[in-house]
Amino acid sequence: MHIEQLTYENYRNYAKTDLTFDHNVNVIIGENAQGKTNLLEAIYVLAMTKSHRTAKDKELIRWEEPFAKIQGQIKKRTGPLHLEVVFSSQGKKVKLNRLEQERISQYIGALNIVMFAPEDLRLVKGSPKERRRFIDMEMGQISPIYLYHLSQYHKILKQRNRLLKDAYSKSFDDAMLDVLTAQLIPEAAQVIRKRYDFLNKLQVWANDIHEQISRGLEHLKIEYVPSAEVSNSMNLSTLEEKLQEQFNSVIDQEKRRATTLVGPHRDDLRFIVNDKNVQTYGSQGQQRTVALSLKLAEIELIHEQVKEYPILLLDDVLSELDDHRQSHLLSTIQGKVQTFVTTTSVDGIDHKTLNEAELFRVENGEVVKKK
Amino acid sequence: MQYPEPISKLIEGFMRLPGIGPKTAARLAFYVLDMKEEDVFDFGKALVNAKRELTHCSICQHITDTDPCRICEDQTRDRSVICVVQDSKDVIAMEKMQEFRGQYHVLHGAISPVDGIGPEDIHIPDLIKRLQDETVQELIVATNPNIEGEATAMYISRLVKPTGIKVSRIAHGLPVGGDLEYADEVTLSKAIEGRQEL
Ligand SMILES: Nc1ncnc2c1ncn2[C@@H]1O[C@H](COP(=O)(O)OP(=O)(O)OP(=O)(O)O)[C@@H](O)[C@H]1O
Ligand SMILES: [Mg+2]
Ligand SMILES: [Zn+2]
Repeated sequence: MHIEQLTYENYRNYAKTDLTFDHNVNVIIGENAQGKTNLLEAIYVLAMTKSHRTAKDKELIRWEEPFAKIQGQIKKRTGPLHLEVVFSSQGKKVKLNRLEQERISQYIGALNIVMFAPEDLRLVKGSPKERRRFIDMEMGQISPIYLYHLSQYHKILKQRNRLLKDAYSKSFDDAMLDVLTAQLIPEAAQVIRKRYDFLNKLQVWANDIHEQISRGLEHLKIEYVPSAEVSNSMNLSTLEEKLQEQFNSVIDQEKRRATTLVGPHRDDLRFIVNDKNVQTYGSQGQQRTVALSLKLAEIELIHEQVKEYPILLLDDVLSELDDHRQSHLLSTIQGKVQTFVTTTSVDGIDHKTLNEAELFRVENGEVVKKK
Repeated sequence: MQYPEPISKLIEGFMRLPGIGPKTAARLAFYVLDMKEEDVFDFGKALVNAKRELTHCSICQHITDTDPCRICEDQTRDRSVICVVQDSKDVIAMEKMQEFRGQYHVLHGAISPVDGIGPEDIHIPDLIKRLQDETVQELIVATNPNIEGEATAMYISRLVKPTGIKVSRIAHGLPVGGDLEYADEVTLSKAIEGRQEL
């Protein structure tokens, strides 16, 4: 898929911007703090309805303005598609082909993107939360049903955690806790099963790519680390049984700690290179390669699932990769993946790619096309 | 913008109503200022009277101007089935469809720990009391098909099951996560037909 036109208004440090793209590779160049990341973020927000770097939608609205609006005209295999996201004090509204969508899960997935930003290098080293966010975001784009179960799960979890806070009050009702546990388990099983399925597929691509980047020297394995005693081979009903057993055994502990102790919200991922956990034993370069392999694997996986390549957003990372990794990345996108790259200077970017790219100069919230 | 106190009070009043934001509230308030005094007076009286003269039925908790309400008083209705709903407006929606001839029980809410609402806050103890009378043989739980409504249905079912009374949940046709209020009449009647035992 391709973004043909991107417009945004009162968004971040931009008053009004209208851009058309007719090249595969688009290089966004500018000094620090001019709005390069903001531009990439606009595309990310158009796809995901939220930012990759803040949970507060309000920050996207230009200071002193009442609303921010981002629109995109997309060319897809299935036809043209118009997307719109508006943020205001009344919350956010999303439109597909100018029709307002009541549920975000009906909207997400229309535009597929893969973003690779400096923060992604933390994917391996960072907290479990960041890895869960990675898997949820990637899966949410290709599976609205996953997004649905995940949001149900989180709503029930919130209720259950609230109830557990009163576990020692007079009015505490064990029957109510049982009800919420019974409600939580099928959603937890769905989320876990779907994560296993996703990782099984991602694993194949990621290992393939990782072997290529490391010239056959390294093999990559992705492991799901569940908080409950469950495994990849279990079907939904076995997962539910196992989860029920676990809940039965941790119930007293949950009451004491006033929170839900098992379930997908406490699960994690582990990356194994040549039988060693990269998180503890990997060098910086290895961790970087793992992050890159995962991102490139996502591109292929999305292509496999939706029969179309996603849009790739590269924020400041090209210059952080050595020549070999850079050329691997560039050969992957060659001619098939519409890519947006930000950089403060064109030095250190492969010449051939640069020659075929369109250049956009960003200065203090203004974008000019250069040829 | 700074309005004279009586107007800002009126605007505030409108803003307490669901779905009305500051702009609409201001528009309504200025409209009221242009209305004839007697019309405004009648409108105000209607508001106060609706609140004063309506109470909750002491049997089913439906809003009513007589106690017990007309539905509970109606001798031709089936007293062996109670349909449990979240709001009075659900009763009105069900009555419009004229398919259900049993009794109702209005919870006025759903269980939600996050909002501090437990079983005793939504007339569940009253419901249990009603079941002690032998005439009731079936409970249809028609709470909203969202998380809180489902939890409420499951909770009631767990409580009532041991008494031997049949408990069913309306099942089909309702949009997931939606409110009963928004379901059209056709879907509602399908939902009643397709009820499943809990
Ligand atoms: N809501 C907002 N309203 C107005 N300006 C904003 C808003 N949010 C961020 N900015 C401004 O946007 C600028 C940052 O833009 P951005 O993050 O895109 O920089 P960049 O070009 O990617 O820089 P770098 O090269 O340092 O990464 C800052 O000057 C910041 O003050
Ligand atoms: Mg930046
Ligand atoms: Zn009544």
